[in-house]
Amino acid sequence: MALLPMRFANLAIIACLAVTGFDIVTGLEHWPFGSYPMYSTLYSDRLSWLRLYGVTERGEISLRGESDFAPFDEARLIMALERLQGARGGDRKLAEALRNLMRLYNRRKSGRSPAATPLRALRLYAVRWDLRPGLQGSEPPRERVLIAQVTDDAAEAGR
Amino acid sequence: MNRLLQNWNRYWFTPATAEYLALVRIVTYGLLLAIYLPLDDRGWAQVSRVFWMPISVFHFLPGPPRDAALIGTLQVLWKASLFTSAIGLFSRFGRATAAALGFFLLGLPNCFGKIHHLDGFPVLLLGILALSRCSDALSPGRDLRGSREIPVSAQYRWPVRLSQTLFLLVFFAAGYAKLRNGGLAWMTAANMRSIWLGELFTHSPPTGLGGFLAPSAWLCQFAAVATVTLELSALPALFAGRLRALTLAGLLGLQILIALMLGVYFTPHLVGYALFLPWQRHYTRLCGPRR
Repeated sequence: MALLPMRFANLAIIACLAVTGFDIVTGLEHWPFGSYPMYSTLYSDRLSWLRLYGVTERGEISLRGESDFAPFDEARLIMALERLQGARGGDRKLAEALRNLMRLYNRRKSGRSPAATPLRALRLYAVRWDLRPGLQGSEPPRERVLIAQVTDDAAEAGR
Repeated sequence: MNRLLQNWNRYWFTPATAEYLALVRIVTYGLLLAIYLPLDDRGWAQVSRVFWMPISVFHFLPGPPRDAALIGTLQVLWKASLFTSAIGLFSRFGRATAAALGFFLLGLPNCFGKIHHLDGFPVLLLGILALSRCSDALSPGRDLRGSREIPVSAQYRWPVRLSQTLFLLVFFAAGYAKLRNGGLAWMTAANMRSIWLGELFTHSPPTGLGGFLAPSAWLCQFAAVATVTLELSALPALFAGRLRALTLAGLLGLQILIALMLGVYFTPHLVGYALFLPWQRHYTRLCGPRR
């Protein structure tokens, strides 16, 4: 192997190893490199999560990221909402985010079935479960606290 | 120092045939095309700016992309470039396009609140192959298995070696992060049980296996210790062939269980496992020895 390509290869190898090693040691993320911290914290037997509920003519329905708010998936959506909640001006940002999510939901549902009823309101709750063996995942939360809410008028206004 | 240099050179630069790297090229781009064929990022154009939390070089963009048609065009170009790179057509340009568009399209969703650690490795792999000479064999215009000598050089080894190394370091990083953030307490039955049960509510696992196994304290304990041990063993596995095979089999099993129990699918990592398979042996068996 000639000298120049060899030097180039060594440089590429050392650069990749250096960034990878730095991220592993520090826990920082320089995507596409990373420290892969998923599931690395300690989990309590009390699960706290955020959950979105839509208000229809028939009452509240629980909504999930993947099926109701594409392109978001549940984990990304909830993490994004948590970050907005903790950000400066969190209330305003959350309200704007919920208006956008309501539009995404209504557009998606009307695209699939023109007869589908649009949401009247979208509510964000902090929910809690006590984790104990025997749970199936369909149990309602033990506790729900309303964090934010937008109505269809607000969503229309945000178009 | 000399010995260290020798070991370094042996690890990264043991000569290989151009065919070896070309087979990795075909498998890698082919698999990535199959895995990402359903990818559609156009929906992000409708997501509010309030969700825009850029990562990496996406910080340089003025805001989230707003043109769904443009994203759609880039997706078609990317998938076409994966295809042409697999077959070795327009190779250098195609691979550079695949790497650049892969970075953008796979990175974009991570700018909306959370980094999913599924697509980082494929992006690195695309970058490494773009820099390599992986189209020196098994490409249109190149002699496939004719009488001409297939070149042998260290430049056909290091890109695969680097990709394999980064892939195993992904798992070591995950194991190390558990010990750094959770300490030894991460490896307790209670912690593992909470992960299994919590995911029933926060994800949509395809089976109820997590809920079914959670009552068994010893199984939770075993799974917690085995997970960290397996992930940490990825580092020594870089240097020990037998351990590598065992570790890779274990990690694949672990990721299958994660998919079944937690509903988290590491499908893009299949391309990492494929890097370790003896493609040249299979190819020679299929096509016969070189004339």
